[in-house]
Amino acid sequence: MQYFKSLEHIKNSYNGRICQIADYKRSGKKLVGTFCLFVPDEIIFASGANRVILCGGRNDTVAIAEQYLPRNICPLVKSSFGSIINDGCSGVRSCSHFGMVDMIIAENTCDSKKKMYEILNDYVPTHVIDLPQRPDGSTAFNYFLQELDKFKNAMEMLTGNVVTDELLAKEIRSSNEIRELFHRIYEFRKEDPPPISGTDVLKVLQKQYFLSSEEIKKILYMLINEIEMVKQDERGKPGKPRIMITGCPMSGGNTKVPDMIESRGGVIVAEESCTGTRSFWDLVDESKEPMVALAERYIKIPCSCMSPNLRRIDNILELARDFKVDGVVYYTLQFCHGYNIEKHKVQQALRKAGIPMLFVETDYSSADVEQIGIRVDAFMEMLS
Amino acid sequence: MITVGIDSGSATTKGVLVSNGKIVAHTILPTGFDFILAAKKAYIEVLDAAGFDKEDVDHVYSTGYGRKNLTFADKAISEITTHAAGVYDLYPDVKGIIDIGGQDSKVISISKGKVIDFSMNDKCAAGTGKFLEYTSRALEVPIEDLGNLALGSKNPASITSMCTVFAESEVISLRARGFNKEDIAAGLVESIARRVAVMSRQLGLQENVAFVGGVAKNTGIRAGLEKELKISLYIPPEPQITGALGAALYGSG
Repeated sequence: MQYFKSLEHIKNSYNGRICQIADYKRSGKKLVGTFCLFVPDEIIFASGANRVILCGGRNDTVAIAEQYLPRNICPLVKSSFGSIINDGCSGVRSCSHFGMVDMIIAENTCDSKKKMYEILNDYVPTHVIDLPQRPDGSTAFNYFLQELDKFKNAMEMLTGNVVTDELLAKEIRSSNEIRELFHRIYEFRKEDPPPISGTDVLKVLQKQYFLSSEEIKKILYMLINEIEMVKQDERGKPGKPRIMITGCPMSGGNTKVPDMIESRGGVIVAEESCTGTRSFWDLVDESKEPMVALAERYIKIPCSCMSPNLRRIDNILELARDFKVDGVVYYTLQFCHGYNIEKHKVQQALRKAGIPMLFVETDYSSADVEQIGIRVDAFMEMLS
Repeated sequence: MITVGIDSGSATTKGVLVSNGKIVAHTILPTGFDFILAAKKAYIEVLDAAGFDKEDVDHVYSTGYGRKNLTFADKAISEITTHAAGVYDLYPDVKGIIDIGGQDSKVISISKGKVIDFSMNDKCAAGTGKFLEYTSRALEVPIEDLGNLALGSKNPASITSMCTVFAESEVISLRARGFNKEDIAAGLVESIARRVAVMSRQLGLQENVAFVGGVAKNTGIRAGLEKELKISLYIPPEPQITGALGAALYGSG
């Protein structure tokens, strides 16, 4: 597959970002950590703070978390918690940014995260945004709007700045610009063969909430330019099985299953996940009052904590059609009850639409690489 | 056209030699630690049995867990695809396959020899040959006799542990509660049959289902599975070699 200089940039961006954050904090500004798409970046930036994502994708901090948390909860929750509270005594080094945040902006999505945040608050001040879990209707909307207001106040308290509508409008434009750029990248993926691999796109998506928005925009513009330069004969072979991934997020450091899919003959053309379409698909309406427009956009994120979550199934079917998907890989993390249970409804809908689905449940360890490999091989053979 | 299929499984390695679409010879041997050596041995054995030399063979295709590490093979295909082709060759009207092997069990839904959907057991040993191996050891019964022993039970014990290690301790506690060997064996058979039946129902298998893999040789398990699924299963004369057969057939194009 094609080599992109902008991706080399992504790969080497970690240390630069850490220095940037350190400078930023030295100048008296605040850094917050987030875990979830339900937390609007726009409000954080409008308050003059910056943010990094704290979702862990590493396996080695899981054991640290297991001193406090039960073994049978999802690896994302454990890895994140372990990375944040890690004091280095166990010999494991967490990525530096986990120790640099002044406050955590959390959200009540799944039970494991909700209860983990209660413990986390003993280590780092944690503001939790509550979510209405039946998202349709005016009661839910008004409640969510109130919660976003409380979050805005918390950011104002932390930074000492006032979040005005003008500042919000500016940040909404900026975040919409990133969303539009991701749409352009996805547009390329509709081609056969796509000019960029799924694992490459995933690496950008994973850094989306880690880098500053200026940096991610710069990288996206560079990448789009590079993709446009790719000639037809420089692409891979056409006719490979076109795969869509749906399910749990794949946090930074975790590309286990996508690597397997693309090294075993498939090409990933779309991801319906938090490290995929859910992060950028809908834009914020710039013609409306900013806080209302934010609440409208964010409450629609089709997370499996929502009930019923029919919007997600509609999105999957629509993406499968638009991206000419041959097969869907339903990816879940062990003990993620929401996505694991929702699999049934998704499978039913895909069967009805005549689209084959492979279910993969895994964690961050490499113990099951061969077991999953055989399933992926068979799935690719089935689709070829 | 002469082709060989080698199925490098976790417990046994199988080889099948096919000439013009017909099975000429087959071999089954324990895999052991050095699966590459076992695969080479299977290749030589099957050649010897058929009376051919390596030069006579047009293609060698590999399948099974070790499939990608066999350098003498021309191509590696997953055992899900090869089982489908092998069983279809034996039973052209087959619609589903249940394969219980040494370390996994799988259920495959097929149409005209092509895989439509499949499901495999979770990462653990529940519902596999390993489960039977461990639990029969706790019963002090050779694994081959476990099924027949179960057929003699009048009051099957209920075994609920899916984990192989916990099932072994459940066997011991059932023994302490006074259950006899037959009843515990029947409980084990029921437990594995239930596990596999769940997967078959998920795929909607109803009729024309074949049972393959090493465990299919066990009459008691076969009977337990038929009872649980309420269908009669096709059992190939040699149920362990359908993967290798499918690989050999893919080799002949």
